[in-house]
Amino acid sequence: MFHILPTIRLSATVRQAFSLLTLLVIFAGFNAAWAQTRVLKGTVLDAETGEPLLGATVVVSGNETLGSITDGEGKFSLNLAENAKTIYVSYIGYERTTVNIGIGNDLEIRLQPTATNMNEVVITALGVARDEKALGYAIQKVDGDQLTQARETNLVNALAGKVAGVQVVGNPAGVGSSARVTIRGDKSLNFNKNQPLFVVDGVPILNELVGSSGKGRQDVDYGNTAAVVNPDDIESITVLKGANASALYGSRANNGVILITTKTGKGTKGIGVSVNSTTSFETPLLLPEYQNVYGQGLNGDFGYVNGAGSGVRDGVDESWGPKFAGQLIPQYDSPRRYLNGGAMTNFRGGDLFSVDENGNSVPLVTEVVPTPWVARPDNVRDFFEVGRTLTNNFAIAGGNESSNFRLSFTNLDQTGFVPNTDLRRNTIAFSGGINPTDRLSVKTVINYIKSESDNRPSNSYGTENIMYLFNCWLGRQVDLESSKDYWQRGQEGLRQFGSNYNYHDNPYFNLNENTNGLAGDRVFGNVVVRYEFTDWLSLQLRTATDYSYELRTQRRAYSTQRFPFGSYSEARVNIEERNSDFLLTFNKTFGDLSVNVSGGGNRMDAKYDYLETFAGQLLIPGIYNFGNSRVELQNDLVKTRKRINSFYGFTQLSWKNYLFLDLTARNDWSSALPTASNSYFYPSASLSAVVSDMVNLPAWVSFAKFRTGIAQVGNDTDPYQLTQVFNAGTPFGPNRVYSESGTLVNADLKPEISTSFEIGTDLRFLDGRVGLDFTYYNIVSKNQIIAIPLSITTGYNNKIINAGSIRNYGLEAMLNLVPLQTQAGLKWEIDFNFGLNRSEVQELTDEVSNYVMASRYISVEAREGERMGSMYGLGYQRVTDESSAYFGEILLDSRGRPLRTTNRVLLGNYSPDFMVGINNNFTFKGLNVGFLIDLREGGEIYSHTQTVGREGGQIIETLEGRENGYDLTLPENGVYFNGVFSSKGPNGETVYTPNDPSTNASAIKLSAREYHSAFTQGRSLIEGVIYDASFTKLREVRIGYNLPNSIMGKLPFRNVNISAVGRNLFVWSQVPHIDPENASISGGTLIPGTESVSIPSARSFGFNVSFKL
Amino acid sequence: MNCPARVTVPGLLIYTIISKSMKSFALKIALILFASVLVFSCTKDLEEINTNGNSPTAVPPSLLLPGVMRNISNEVVGTGWGIGNIVIQHTAKIQFVNEDRYAWGEINGFWNTTYANMRDLNNVYVLAEAQGLRNYMGLALVMKSWMFSIATDCYGDIPYSQATQGKGDNFFPVYDTQENIYNGILADLERANDLLESSPEAIEGDIILNGNKLRWRKLANSLLLRYLMRISNKRDVSAQMQAILADPVKYPIMESNADIAALTYLAASPNQFPIHTSRIGSFNEFRLSKTMGDTLIALGDPRLEVFARPTDASVTAGSPEFVGIPNGLDDIEALTYNGGSQFISRIGAVFYENAITSDGIDIARGFVMDYAELQFILAEAAQRGLITGDAKNFYEKGIQASMDYYKVTMPAGYLTMPEVAYNPANGLAQIGFQKWIGLFFHGLEGWFDWRRTGYPVLLPGKANLNENQIPVRFIYPSSEQALNSDNRNTAVSRQGVDNINTKVWWDQ
Repeated sequence: MFHILPTIRLSATVRQAFSLLTLLVIFAGFNAAWAQTRVLKGTVLDAETGEPLLGATVVVSGNETLGSITDGEGKFSLNLAENAKTIYVSYIGYERTTVNIGIGNDLEIRLQPTATNMNEVVITALGVARDEKALGYAIQKVDGDQLTQARETNLVNALAGKVAGVQVVGNPAGVGSSARVTIRGDKSLNFNKNQPLFVVDGVPILNELVGSSGKGRQDVDYGNTAAVVNPDDIESITVLKGANASALYGSRANNGVILITTKTGKGTKGIGVSVNSTTSFETPLLLPEYQNVYGQGLNGDFGYVNGAGSGVRDGVDESWGPKFAGQLIPQYDSPRRYLNGGAMTNFRGGDLFSVDENGNSVPLVTEVVPTPWVARPDNVRDFFEVGRTLTNNFAIAGGNESSNFRLSFTNLDQTGFVPNTDLRRNTIAFSGGINPTDRLSVKTVINYIKSESDNRPSNSYGTENIMYLFNCWLGRQVDLESSKDYWQRGQEGLRQFGSNYNYHDNPYFNLNENTNGLAGDRVFGNVVVRYEFTDWLSLQLRTATDYSYELRTQRRAYSTQRFPFGSYSEARVNIEERNSDFLLTFNKTFGDLSVNVSGGGNRMDAKYDYLETFAGQLLIPGIYNFGNSRVELQNDLVKTRKRINSFYGFTQLSWKNYLFLDLTARNDWSSALPTASNSYFYPSASLSAVVSDMVNLPAWVSFAKFRTGIAQVGNDTDPYQLTQVFNAGTPFGPNRVYSESGTLVNADLKPEISTSFEIGTDLRFLDGRVGLDFTYYNIVSKNQIIAIPLSITTGYNNKIINAGSIRNYGLEAMLNLVPLQTQAGLKWEIDFNFGLNRSEVQELTDEVSNYVMASRYISVEAREGERMGSMYGLGYQRVTDESSAYFGEILLDSRGRPLRTTNRVLLGNYSPDFMVGINNNFTFKGLNVGFLIDLREGGEIYSHTQTVGREGGQIIETLEGRENGYDLTLPENGVYFNGVFSSKGPNGETVYTPNDPSTNASAIKLSAREYHSAFTQGRSLIEGVIYDASFTKLREVRIGYNLPNSIMGKLPFRNVNISAVGRNLFVWSQVPHIDPENASISGGTLIPGTESVSIPSARSFGFNVSFKL
Repeated sequence: MNCPARVTVPGLLIYTIISKSMKSFALKIALILFASVLVFSCTKDLEEINTNGNSPTAVPPSLLLPGVMRNISNEVVGTGWGIGNIVIQHTAKIQFVNEDRYAWGEINGFWNTTYANMRDLNNVYVLAEAQGLRNYMGLALVMKSWMFSIATDCYGDIPYSQATQGKGDNFFPVYDTQENIYNGILADLERANDLLESSPEAIEGDIILNGNKLRWRKLANSLLLRYLMRISNKRDVSAQMQAILADPVKYPIMESNADIAALTYLAASPNQFPIHTSRIGSFNEFRLSKTMGDTLIALGDPRLEVFARPTDASVTAGSPEFVGIPNGLDDIEALTYNGGSQFISRIGAVFYENAITSDGIDIARGFVMDYAELQFILAEAAQRGLITGDAKNFYEKGIQASMDYYKVTMPAGYLTMPEVAYNPANGLAQIGFQKWIGLFFHGLEGWFDWRRTGYPVLLPGKANLNENQIPVRFIYPSSEQALNSDNRNTAVSRQGVDNINTKVWWDQ
């Protein structure tokens, strides 16, 4: 069952809670005298599935004070007057049904699910269940079953396209890689502070991305910590988009909240067992298109001797070599024979050493025997394997009136399509609830997650990333199959074997020897005690913890380019957050007015410990132990602590159940801010009016609600920003080293504050077959705490200040249609999610007018008056004289290469203009077919694959200019860069001459290699490699079938569902070679809008089987 | 501040509520209020929590010095390798030839390293001044003078008098004229010599001269002579030079190679000679320049065997020979010159794989200044009549010192070869030439000196991208356009267009 909507199916828990509430209301007015009565019994079932419905309300028509609710088996029993004729049964999510009771008993009542639910109960901030119609702000819900069928290893990725206004950018970095999610755009000038807060069962959990580069190593994406929440244990996800919705969560909810509710055993009849098994296979979605005409070398020459320059251009790692014609050329995998036509050996071209009689390595005195020079068009494609992910979940749940439990075990076993990369994750989730008395309830949820990887691939541009080799520096003749045997013969463990020893590591060597392992333990959970003093007063106490421990082990073998003697590192990342809170709730109805007042407090303690030990060189190859270090060990230790104390209160007023006013207020005390300003208060108010209940609307309007709200949220900063310190550096021999931090701290920081306004409607027409939910919002974020750059001549790199005013405004629309619904049971649903956001930098500070948020290939800059996410870099110098016929043409230097601007110019913006998710779902009896299309329009991306793939002669574009080889006198060879020369005319005027040989005798032709390098002027001019990142993705396809329980006969299986699913099946975009949905990771920060020779993203196909026992 | 109850308060409450029957409503309310008070009775703890236990707020000067010395030394080696050796044609590139063709973008290494380390050097000085530690003050002034001289020689006018005042809320330091900067440098070096003379305390953390005060004074005074010579085309420096040489007690100067000021790198990672950790391909992009190769071959100068090695092909063929490659070829010419890279000499092993051997450690160092250079300065000063003395003697001592440093034996008759034998009529060129050899891989000093003297005569490579001019300056970092634009623009309008061909003050 797939719903991607604001129309939301209720969890059993909530349904029951709501029914109880209804009943309470009903009984509140109980005053009827007992008449002559009889007992009516019956069962309430789902008309489609035949499942019993727990908590449905059964009420006698005409005497609403007489009612009952169904139990776990759907059974009810009702005392009613002998003369009662009809009862009605209502249940959220189902059509209200009136039943003639006659004199019968043991009725079987089947309820039809409603096309669109009008009265949904949703979980809001602090875990408070609310009637959706009462909400004065936008939220959106995703059901858990949507996450378990079409799975993502990273939970965050599963949200893509499913929620209006939510943008997910996955980092293509192999198994377990991270994803960046933002709601309503980037609001903070600090890159890392734009993601929403993740909350599980009412309590915040960690979503950190801790970088791993340094000490000569490149980044490995160890994943964002919220990624590991197990979809099998998720009942539903509610996305609180705006500050009104999230203000009660305080500071960190400034960017919205992803609110996860986990499954419980509540509502289970007896003991129930459910099993869910998914098998999926992953392959690269998109590989660069390489040229397959020319091999390694330069100017058409190549001949292998030692892969380091001793042969003919054999140190060159570019593909500007001989054309493929099957001619015989010595290569790295050609055989060797003894000199002067001697006997063949079993050494290969790249085996450079032999072992003499004393066991010493000596240079091998042999020569390489030429072998045919042919392209290996599929060398990269064949390098990748078929990834495989097995996920098996087994859950047992049980319950009775006073207690319930659920215990779930999930095993995820993934091997990536990048060879020797993997991820294993075991999750045990327990949830239990007990009501020792009518008034007291105790609940607990505990999740334990054990994650392990033997290896995750390295990322970013550099030798440790295999894509660096493939996209930029791998001769197109290289048969990677020959690289599998990756040690030089007789040099096992000492010297790798490969195609180029000047710069590169063998990719198999990289992946098998230079591993980046992970072992993680994660425990999060909470205990909640709730006591009802009276019907109208209750107290809830809760304490929660989220503990994450990661051990990262990084090995580098002997002969690694960056680590000739190998290295070994262990990093222990220990993050913990504890939250304890209380909430006192008063709830009473006075005539038409219903009042709910709550007050509470929270203490949050956060702890971060990082310890890395590094052996920069090893004594004995292959022994990864600190005792085996050749050099003094380096240790890095960082510990930070933070606490936030909070008090908050909120009031919900409801008038006649159609007019709702919510008020909230919160005050935080943060340890990270100066004592004088560490207390900050922020309120919110929202109003919701259900017009359809207030006035009579035409019959085709089923429901109409208008809502509006205004809210403030305050925010603090990271710990230790107030005192200037000295940091320890790498010792120099016995000399210890300290250096003052280059960031000037600020002892007078103030809290950040953002103010948001939103207004929206929720409209349903034609019995709910058309639903439209529309929101406009405006958010102004001020006093942001950022480190603005200083001229280094001040002695400091930056200083921390309060600055900026960023405005975000936009529209979100959700349109739900049921174009087709037949009596026979055929139903077609379409859900559109539309999000449009603009983030504007209204002001920065008096001191700076542009702020560099990130700098990698491109410079992401906030400049006053511009959109957030602006990408700056050097562009082409162009003719600026509008009266010239050549206005806008690129200016060339005297050697026919493009001139670059002296200052950085605006070249794009990584934010999309708008995003659309379209989900189609067809159901017919047990059959369910659906697909999700995810579309992003606008936004740009920089591609480093394009920049360096051109330099290296790798990508298909580089055939331009060498159609007939490298002889520039031949036609089609060389390229006239498209542009004009500028010179002074006789009267001092500027004259432009096009670089066009047909009109200009002195036009300058660049060789192909020069041209493709001049394209970016040696990676400095980036205008030519910025692309429109718009894309359309076929994000999900699902075909599922629910087997009728009847065919199972005596077999114990029930609710058997089998389905086939595909994720990320196709992408359509203008960006060559790469997935336009891309980012690069740099020191723990995901930078959108930049691609850094990324590992391809995954396309997956899978099968899913689930059943209950 | 102490906190009365350290137990988890809600935990306590949960326990209380579950275990005890609720006797009265009032009791419950009281309990809740009590809980609230407990939770928030510790707001003073917030300050304590925000105390950074990872890092001290104050450290002694001895812990700051090694980092500064290593950083600036690494920059001397790194930029010396990447730019310095190439621009004065000690080396040439066979691949990725942009810098050899003068397609220079921003070269910000010395800018960033100088100012970033000036932060800690300033801390050393301020701490030392507060504690009356005159030796540290003197040492800091020598380092400061040396670092600022490199920075101004790279860029011209730069922030100096108002630099490193971020803590004093001066975020937009003015650019001083180079003349004023040199006035400051000369005054600081004089003062450093005084400070170092009179103080008894030991110097720790000095990884360049191991706390030897006398050697610091020798360095200060030798640098004084270097910088007086540097500005000698702009003003008469003879009196100051003579004053220094006249009083060796007050102004000790370097007396032998034992007085060389250079950072000696370690054999152990991660403090090895910075080039040692390059990928072999990156190291081999840099080859012997034809300019230096041809002249040293002609002289039979044994230093060539330290600076470079015979071509791979000639070694394989059993007849080792040195071959240099012209600077400033285009990509394809550079890679195919003389038949390819195996026919061109690589740079000497002591600067790469053997940098961690005892020979390498002795030779491949991060230079502040050496004794040979001082002798050539004195030779030039004598030849120009700035000081009295025998130019030939200084010149020959300089050559001998350089040979000694590189552990080679001067061939018999070297000093009497027509090209080498000192001839006052051609003395300045001869001094310049030998100084140029001696300054191989000495950071940018060779470039600065060539810009001043024009010796040896160098021609830009044929495929150069700078209109046939050898660059004489680095452009200002583009970040200054955004972060200190008014002051930068003032400097540009005073000094001339911000490009690589604008001459700095002493070069004009």
